[in-house]
Amino acid sequence: MSQSDANGRRRPVIAGLGVTEMGTVYGRSSSQFAADAVRLAVADAGLQMGDVDGLLTSGGTTGGVGLGLQRDLALFDLRLLSEMQAFGSTAGGMVQFASMAVQSGMADVVACVFADAPLRPGRAAGDVYGGGRRPDRPSSAPVPAPSGWGGLMLSAGVSGANTMYALGARRHMEKFGTTEEDFAAVAVAQRAWAAGNPLAQFREPMTVEDHHASRWIAEPFRKLDCCLVSNGGVAVIVTTAERAASLAKPPVHVLGWGQGHPGRLFDRDPNFGIRTGAAQSGPTALAMAGVKLSDLDVVELYDCYTFTVIVSLEDYGFCEKGEGGPFVSSGVSAPGGSLRLNTGGGQLSSYYMWGMTPLSEAVIQVRGEGGDRQAFPHNLALVSGNGGILDHHSTLVLGTEPV
Amino acid sequence: MSGRVAGPGPVARNADTEVFFDGTAEGKFLLLGCQVCGSINRPQAERCASCDATGLQPVPASGRATLVSWVVVHPRPREGEPPGPVTIPAIVELDEGPWWWSQLVDADTDTLTAGMPLTVEFRTPEGSEAVPVFTPAAG
Repeated sequence: MSQSDANGRRRPVIAGLGVTEMGTVYGRSSSQFAADAVRLAVADAGLQMGDVDGLLTSGGTTGGVGLGLQRDLALFDLRLLSEMQAFGSTAGGMVQFASMAVQSGMADVVACVFADAPLRPGRAAGDVYGGGRRPDRPSSAPVPAPSGWGGLMLSAGVSGANTMYALGARRHMEKFGTTEEDFAAVAVAQRAWAAGNPLAQFREPMTVEDHHASRWIAEPFRKLDCCLVSNGGVAVIVTTAERAASLAKPPVHVLGWGQGHPGRLFDRDPNFGIRTGAAQSGPTALAMAGVKLSDLDVVELYDCYTFTVIVSLEDYGFCEKGEGGPFVSSGVSAPGGSLRLNTGGGQLSSYYMWGMTPLSEAVIQVRGEGGDRQAFPHNLALVSGNGGILDHHSTLVLGTEPV
Repeated sequence: MSGRVAGPGPVARNADTEVFFDGTAEGKFLLLGCQVCGSINRPQAERCASCDATGLQPVPASGRATLVSWVVVHPRPREGEPPGPVTIPAIVELDEGPWWWSQLVDADTDTLTAGMPLTVEFRTPEGSEAVPVFTPAAG
């Protein structure tokens, strides 16, 4: 294998993965989780902390994973340092920028880390992302009314990811006939995958009836249509293929990447809930990698909601636009089906680390470390990040070998 | 009717929304008309979406709209308490063209469909500006 690509550039690979303890883990801050994750990823790669010369950070709802992480980790004289934010597309974006940095020679060993610690004892998970005004329950303490155009939307209850995504999902249902049974098919299939993932927070079997019995959150979404919320951190190490050749783990080549940011949220947008930025980021990444959808062995899609998986499958072209519901209801994505999709259980059942959830599972699968849930073959994987309200997308194509 | 439906919460004016809330206080939903190309823009527009002109002027909307999408938001259950009222955040398409992210009131959640006609109403929560909301059109 040449250590350079056809253009003489160094080949980027993911050489390390660090996943902290995950879930309802209390007593550690997001920055502590981030530091733990970077140390775990460096050790996983067989590197020393002093080898790291680039650091890209991303925090979730609670923030606190910023430039100070350099000092927390005593990483001196870095050649690349930045905090990144494109919501659920950030993890993919970090790997993209890290790949370009090692490709160009700007840096040699870049740690990319996400961490968050939104869960606190006695606080409901939904409070973190809910935006949750309770119209029947005025607060005892006077809270100033929100103002501005955003305040007007808040007053109408247009707030929180659950509501926003449900508005998109409803459009898809009205336009294409997508059903709650289709949503359930996604949740059930991913729970079945999670059974084989020791890192997953929810591994007990789930049926369609269980899905339908879960309470309404924001119709058409029930509780089991929504991702879980986790405390923890995930980091990956991006370096060159040349460097990785002598390291501890099989290299995961970063073969292609792309982004898509439609930018029409809250405007008149016939595509809202119908077509997302994945329709742009996907073809870009596949073309760069020089592969087709049919070449992919493993697909890890951002799944903040069951619906997100359905619309993303369409946008990548795994099925026709509007056919995502029947496609998942056919059982194609359950273990044993023809599509190895969200093989760790995804954010619905394993852990919610924004874009690091699909990315970490893809790294595990491409390495062949998936244990009971390992896909065969596992030469090529697609990773999809989705952020904002279906508004920011990143795609990675990962593989065992350079294409 | 599948349950109680709550109305909007309070909202305060700021510099961006002064003209709009002056309108809602008089029962008007003010859009912005382009003095160059005649296009009607959403209330928060700085420039005309069609021709990029500035100098947009307020123009009252007809108050008619159609339903684009909606959600029935259920408050978290509290043990030993009856379920709280739902809210129905919605996207509507104003007859003049712009989309508006708002809320439905006086609506039967079982009979909502995309494209159904709506009309604007104004509600004034305690301590709030008047808030435009939408309700299924009569007849």
